[in-house]
Amino acid sequence: MLVLTAVALALLFAPGALAGQSATGELAFHPCSQCHPVTLGADGQPLRALPIGMTQHVVELEVHDILGEGDTACLACHDDPSRNPGMLLLADGTFVDVTGDVSRVCQRCHFEKYREWQVGVHGKNEPKCTAAGCHDPHTPSWIYVGALPPFQGTGMEVRAVGEWLPFKPLAGPPTPPAVLTPAWLAIVTALGAVVSAGMLGYLILGRFKR
Amino acid sequence: MAEKAISRPGVKRVIGVDLDFGALRTAGPRYWAFVSLLVTVIGLGVMAWGTLLTHGGSVMAMRDSYPWGLWFTNYMYYVGLSAGGLVVYASVHLFNAKQFAPLSRLAVLQAGVLVMMALLGIITDMERPWRAVWMLLTPNFNSPFIYTGSAANIYMIICFVDLWILITGKGGHKLAHRMTLIALPFAVYLHTTTAFVLSLNKSRELWNSAVMVPIFLTSATASGVALLLICAYVMQRIGAMKFKPSMFRSLSTLLATVIIIDLFLLAVEILTVFWPTSAKPGHALRLAEFFTGEYAIAFLPVLVLGLGAFALLAGRSTRHLPAVQITASLMYVVAIFLKRYSLMAMGFAVDPLGQYSAPYLPSLVEVLIALGLLAVGLLIMTLSAKVLPLRVPEEDSAESDQVVLASHAPEQALEVG
Repeated sequence: MLVLTAVALALLFAPGALAGQSATGELAFHPCSQCHPVTLGADGQPLRALPIGMTQHVVELEVHDILGEGDTACLACHDDPSRNPGMLLLADGTFVDVTGDVSRVCQRCHFEKYREWQVGVHGKNEPKCTAAGCHDPHTPSWIYVGALPPFQGTGMEVRAVGEWLPFKPLAGPPTPPAVLTPAWLAIVTALGAVVSAGMLGYLILGRFKR
Repeated sequence: MAEKAISRPGVKRVIGVDLDFGALRTAGPRYWAFVSLLVTVIGLGVMAWGTLLTHGGSVMAMRDSYPWGLWFTNYMYYVGLSAGGLVVYASVHLFNAKQFAPLSRLAVLQAGVLVMMALLGIITDMERPWRAVWMLLTPNFNSPFIYTGSAANIYMIICFVDLWILITGKGGHKLAHRMTLIALPFAVYLHTTTAFVLSLNKSRELWNSAVMVPIFLTSATASGVALLLICAYVMQRIGAMKFKPSMFRSLSTLLATVIIIDLFLLAVEILTVFWPTSAKPGHALRLAEFFTGEYAIAFLPVLVLGLGAFALLAGRSTRHLPAVQITASLMYVVAIFLKRYSLMAMGFAVDPLGQYSAPYLPSLVEVLIALGLLAVGLLIMTLSAKVLPLRVPEEDSAESDQVVLASHAPEQALEVG
């Protein structure tokens, strides 16, 4: 019975735990480096077996499509796919592994957000936190709420790596909470104002009487 | 003077100062009506403070985006007002400006009381004032607060010690002169550090300007001199003191001079911010809020009142008229309050991340406490006008036969308020 309860609780809270993991901004998994670079044998097949019989995958860009068409968009961030697409291009022309500090790739364009993240006003600046831990790197307006195991199905659909919600920036500054004014204080102030007005009247009228 | 005074009934000597409690007994009903009014306001303020202590920050309109409100505005305002008194008093000793000699005690008293009001405002602003001890135990020397806070405390003590020296005459002119040499640089130091609280904020672009310090000093001196002029008129009307018309004329000339320097510095700052080839976008964006935005109703009157006050005092043929002097002084005292309010709002209107904050309007509790503190200051001045020997001896001997017209007190004290 106890075991059953524990299992039920674990199932109940598991999505929350996953969401918590994602909320730290830490990459839940790094599938790219497990296969890439893909080296082909004499028979034209990958030397290392690809998971779940996968041959290739397609990434659809929805926001980052402004980076270009076809391979141009990929090459904006990735190294040549025939060499190692798991290596990502930095601003100074060097590469960083996809398991490394990938936020610096995003920094190339999103330097303002990167600065905000550094100073702690955007997301969490924690040791293992990266931009790709919260944002889908290919469509960064999607943010992960919980990581799912990779390679569900026959190909790697980027959207399949996690549930996502559209990210909406705040329309304006947050509304400050209402000011509390105790009713008794308002009543006492009103009485005090009446008394003060009486005294002022006496002072001003007395001036004319003089 | 002391011997003469102590022979009168109701005079008690406390630490060498003759306190004339007898004058309170002869005071008219309107004097007491005014005192009752002040006590009522103080009572409301105390109740508001109690609400603040029990409910915490929720009763205040100060929020994350607007952490410094009415009380801190008042701190800067009162600290500034106290400067004028010190400048006038110091000029008596340093520049031998004899015409201001009768003002010296009043000037120093006004300076001390105003700094006291400023510090009381900070105590309420702390919400849990007993935590002030941590500022002493764990001082952060990078923060200008440590310098302005300690300076204000020491300055208040200097003012009251100075007043005691002036009244008792201990140490003669030599000690009074030495005290001036301490008090005047300290006044400048206090106002400089108060300006630093704003201007050392790198993230608040509008305050982050070196001209903030001289503007603070000139605004402080101008508004302080204006308030001293009003105060002197009130004291003269209630018969507590007597001044020559030439003294008021000299004071008005001094006021007009400082006003135009103050306005000049403000104009220089505005020009620097908006000059097409030098404008910093953030700086211009924030200042523009005060010409075209929601804070324009607070800032534009500063320019109108300031220029109006100068225009009134600029005419030589009308400068000697008491009505002109008082109107101009009142205009400038109000202008500097609005300037302080809008200066504070300027920094917070657009936050460092570029978001607009809702305009700040103080809550009932904030207003009541601020009014209560103002009433405390007015009460001290009202009672001092009767009890303290504010007349300078030379003046007193000539005017000793003058009858105290106590019944005029309240209306005049009202004008100060």
